[in-house]
Amino acid sequence: MPAIETTDLTKRYGDVTALDSLSLSVAEGELYGLLGPNGSGKTTTIEILTGQIEPTSGTARVLGADPVADPLAVRESVGILPEREDPPSFLTPREYLQFVGDVRDLPDVDDRIDTWADRLGFRDTLDTLSTDLSEGERQRVMLAQTFVHEPDLVFIDEPLVNLDPIMQAEVKDHLREYCDRGNTLFLSTHFLEVAEQLCTGVAILRDGRLVAERDPRELGPDERLLDYFREEVADADGERRQQQTELAAEPTERDA
Amino acid sequence: MSGVSAGSLLGRMIREEYRLHSELFGDRFAAFPLLVAALSGAGFWLLTLTDVGVGAVAAGLHGLVFFFGLQVGSIGLVGRDALRDVLGDVTLLVFSARTLPVTWRRLLAVFLLKDLIYYSVLFLGPLAAGYAVFAVTAGVPVGDVGLLYLTTAATFAYGAGASLTAAGVATRSRIARLGLLAGVVAVTTATVAGRVDPVALSPLAFYESPSLATAAAGFGPVVVLSVLGPLTFRPADGGAARSSPDRYSRVRTLLSDDTGVATRSTLEVARSSGSVWKVLFSMGVLFGVTALLVREVGRATALDPSPGIAFGTLLGLGAFTTYSWVTQFDDRREYLRYPLSMDAVFAGKRRAFLVLSVPAGYAYLALSLLWIPLSEVAIGAVVFPLVAVYVFGVTAYVTGLAPNELLFDTPLFAAFGAALALVSLPLVVAALTHTEAPTASTRTALAVAVLGAIVGVVLARRAGPRWAAKGR
Repeated sequence: MPAIETTDLTKRYGDVTALDSLSLSVAEGELYGLLGPNGSGKTTTIEILTGQIEPTSGTARVLGADPVADPLAVRESVGILPEREDPPSFLTPREYLQFVGDVRDLPDVDDRIDTWADRLGFRDTLDTLSTDLSEGERQRVMLAQTFVHEPDLVFIDEPLVNLDPIMQAEVKDHLREYCDRGNTLFLSTHFLEVAEQLCTGVAILRDGRLVAERDPRELGPDERLLDYFREEVADADGERRQQQTELAAEPTERDA
Repeated sequence: MSGVSAGSLLGRMIREEYRLHSELFGDRFAAFPLLVAALSGAGFWLLTLTDVGVGAVAAGLHGLVFFFGLQVGSIGLVGRDALRDVLGDVTLLVFSARTLPVTWRRLLAVFLLKDLIYYSVLFLGPLAAGYAVFAVTAGVPVGDVGLLYLTTAATFAYGAGASLTAAGVATRSRIARLGLLAGVVAVTTATVAGRVDPVALSPLAFYESPSLATAAAGFGPVVVLSVLGPLTFRPADGGAARSSPDRYSRVRTLLSDDTGVATRSTLEVARSSGSVWKVLFSMGVLFGVTALLVREVGRATALDPSPGIAFGTLLGLGAFTTYSWVTQFDDRREYLRYPLSMDAVFAGKRRAFLVLSVPAGYAYLALSLLWIPLSEVAIGAVVFPLVAVYVFGVTAYVTGLAPNELLFDTPLFAAFGAALALVSLPLVVAALTHTEAPTASTRTALAVAVLGAIVGVVLARRAGPRWAAKGR
């Protein structure tokens, strides 16, 4: 059974189609990357798969559960790290993780907090109010809340943002190990080199549509994901801009 | 200081405020002054149906505006963190002392002036327009309406300055906070004992009897507080990283909180700018204003309102501010990422709301024992929590976790105001008719409060599913 499976998933906001007939399948143990420019539908996809919003049409299964019919069941079994999200300003990291432990009804929360504080290097700031932490420290706390309940599947939007290079390397190692243990990771990122280094499969979205799927490990020695991305997204955008320019340049009746 | 003049800053801040509201509320924002004018006009017309005189209405209006000023000035209590959580990544000019060659105090002084001008045009202007219709038909000279506009604007500045000064003093030390509380209690006690007349030290004194002496006594405190506020207030940001021992487990056990939502909300209120003092402070202001209104109505009319019903009603309504405090750091999207139903979120919020507001309200009711009989306090003690439960239900249902969106969102504001009026108007009538029919008015008040609480519970239960479905 795939960890994630979608069929013709579509989300519309009025006249705007944020996601257009997305069909994809992510196997268990895969580190799957979702790539695309801003507004291409990456965040919408994650929000639908985690039951935060409902699709206009289409179906999705996440670890066998339906995120539309039973969003709480999905959220119980997955971890979610949204982009640009901080821990609550006036709780300490320890208290925030205790709160997450309560919400998730976790046993041995204090042991888990110690483990993750050591692993992600924020033991020294466990009792500092989050509002006084640096951005990198906050990101570590958010990573900890994503993994503290040891989920089988994790959705991450930009995992390495605000982290220093050493911590970036450590987090990459952690993500690989996490998938090596048979867990699944669904990653949304702008950083192509991250996807290239980490992912076992990537999908490229453009204007809400899936335009390509690749396994970065199958790229040739002279190939780069960036070239592929350019081909699928940037060139298409260039063509569109070119067409718009040409249209604008065409003489109208009034000009005539 | 180099570069930026106060005038230039003022203009930019006014533009910034307008853009902020336009961005938040879109086209509906433009209708807000019209709604205020319509509501005030309708309210004054209703008052003509009673025996309440023009003088009492003007006094009540000053009290209301003073309270509004206090709320607006409480930016010092709310702080930048709350603004960020409520409005997202917003950087306002008032918080730019780190990056611009302007001192924090200068920014804050200009910010206060901006508030005075902005709200005088958008809120006090429409209010005065509504009053003008009522006043002119009641034979009040047109010049007095202009005077009322001037004194209400000064009263607004009085409230904002008082609030900011109180916040400034409160951020100094624990002893300063205790001193502040003692001061508020002393002034309230002296007022109700008749030893101090706060009206004589407010712009209302000048409105009632214009002279050089009343101008000095009435506007003097406004000037003093407007200077003291920016001088005493220190921004919460900056400084060393603040550590805190683990309070979570203890508070969770005290609150018997399974989901942690109530614990988290209570800790957030206690640790953000103003701490739990802001709950006590905002209720204290309302308590003082109510005491004053009850006294003024008693003096200006033949009515002798029930202080118990009045305190219970207005403290209950004032619990709305506590709802704002317990939700000020919330983002509905965050809760949607947890395996937690919105029902559970609102249940946690309700617990935190009651834990913070009920003791504060009861503290003031206990204080009122100094001058009102126990039987009246007992009525207030029953009415207050029931009205608070109603307020919680209505606010949760109408605004979800974003009660601040009520400000300037005309349809939402109208719906919310109408819902509160449904319960508060019968209670106010019951309070006013207490002299003529004490038993009937008390029974009516209790029945309305109980009914309101039942409706509040039902609305609070429906708030969860409503807000879970919204936006999905």
